[in-house]
Amino acid sequence: MAKEITGYLKIQVKGGSANPSPPIGPALGSKGLNIMEFCKQFNARTQDQMGKVLPVLITIYSDKSFEFIIKTPPAPVLLLEAIKKQSGSAEPNRNKIGSVSWDQVKQIAEIKMPDLNCFVLESAMKLVAGTARSMGITVSGTPPWAN
Amino acid sequence: MYISAQITVNTEFAEILIAELAEIGFDTFTENPEGIEAFALEKDFEQSQLDEVINRYTLLTEIEYKIYKIEKQNWNEEWEKNYDPIRVKEKILVRATFHKLDENYPYEIIIDPKMSFGTGHHATTSLMLENQLEVNHQGKNVLDAGTGTGILAIMAEKLGAKSIIANDIDEWPVANTKENIGLNGCKNIDVYQGTSIQLQDKNQKFDIVLANINRNVLIDEIPVYSRLLVNDGILVLSGFYKDDLDDIDQISKEYHLTRVKLKIRDNWVSPIFVKNNEQ
Repeated sequence: MAKEITGYLKIQVKGGSANPSPPIGPALGSKGLNIMEFCKQFNARTQDQMGKVLPVLITIYSDKSFEFIIKTPPAPVLLLEAIKKQSGSAEPNRNKIGSVSWDQVKQIAEIKMPDLNCFVLESAMKLVAGTARSMGITVSGTPPWAN
Repeated sequence: MYISAQITVNTEFAEILIAELAEIGFDTFTENPEGIEAFALEKDFEQSQLDEVINRYTLLTEIEYKIYKIEKQNWNEEWEKNYDPIRVKEKILVRATFHKLDENYPYEIIIDPKMSFGTGHHATTSLMLENQLEVNHQGKNVLDAGTGTGILAIMAEKLGAKSIIANDIDEWPVANTKENIGLNGCKNIDVYQGTSIQLQDKNQKFDIVLANINRNVLIDEIPVYSRLLVNDGILVLSGFYKDDLDDIDQISKEYHLTRVKLKIRDNWVSPIFVKNNEQ
């Protein structure tokens, strides 16, 4: 018999850094789940992505067990990493904070593909480039499809 | 103490804002229809840095925030109130104070976890305990790195260790280990807040090192464990998946440690290494 789902928790946690603090502690704890079990599993699964923000969807079952899936890092996190800058820009078109190449956009799009509603890489690249522009990041050069 | 920043902002800015806040000490985030909530340890939080980020957004959109302080408490209490005792290899019983004594088990450990790691429910803890049963602890000096509830240190004393030093980088596990040491009537365990690296300067040597942490910390600390071990000393590890075993093996080999045993459960592993004689 399938287990009954009693709730979902969607959070974003830095890789390798889950600890029993808020919001994880109160959210899982109030449902009687073993928070330490979640933290140990999440941290072990994200040792290669230390410090990178990762969206996690936790499914909570009536028998106090849980499962979770870790999604790809949000595009802005990957873009910030790509330009190796400490912060993004909130003034698009006025205060460019850096630039990325179409190659970098392609790399990010490839990482993001599993979580995007895109079937072709080109659409994913356009989405990532759009996010970059709204962060004030320039995409330098011409897109591969313009050649 | 924790900081919660409740930020009211158009949700189209949520992802970008999260990426920026992650750069200034916030480590966990939730999204809601009104915006986002970002969490940080008080020590990692700087109001001026948050203001700087928020101010830049005010040029683009309506944004406001409120800061709340959240007192640390035992959020794991609900689970801890009801947990089932754990039996390891029909030899060890790990139970809470509210469970009945069972004299059929040669080793009994009482754990009141209080939000620390190590009750035996997790595969890594029970694999460590199983491995400890196969290691001669009689009269030995033992180090338990990243002790959590203190469960492995307590087991070491029950197996006859002469002296045990336990550490944890967090404050809660240290306090919790002290409580559990008392509950089990242990006399030979010393616990401190910090890492094993601090022991290197003290010229201390150990016959056995126990470490159930995670891959990255283990990779950093294996050289330290090796230096702290006597020749033929034993290192028992866990806290990582089978996929990461190659990385652990590689660094262990570099530091004169030979893997002699391996236990696997639910994809988690617990190897035992022996330190080779140094010339």
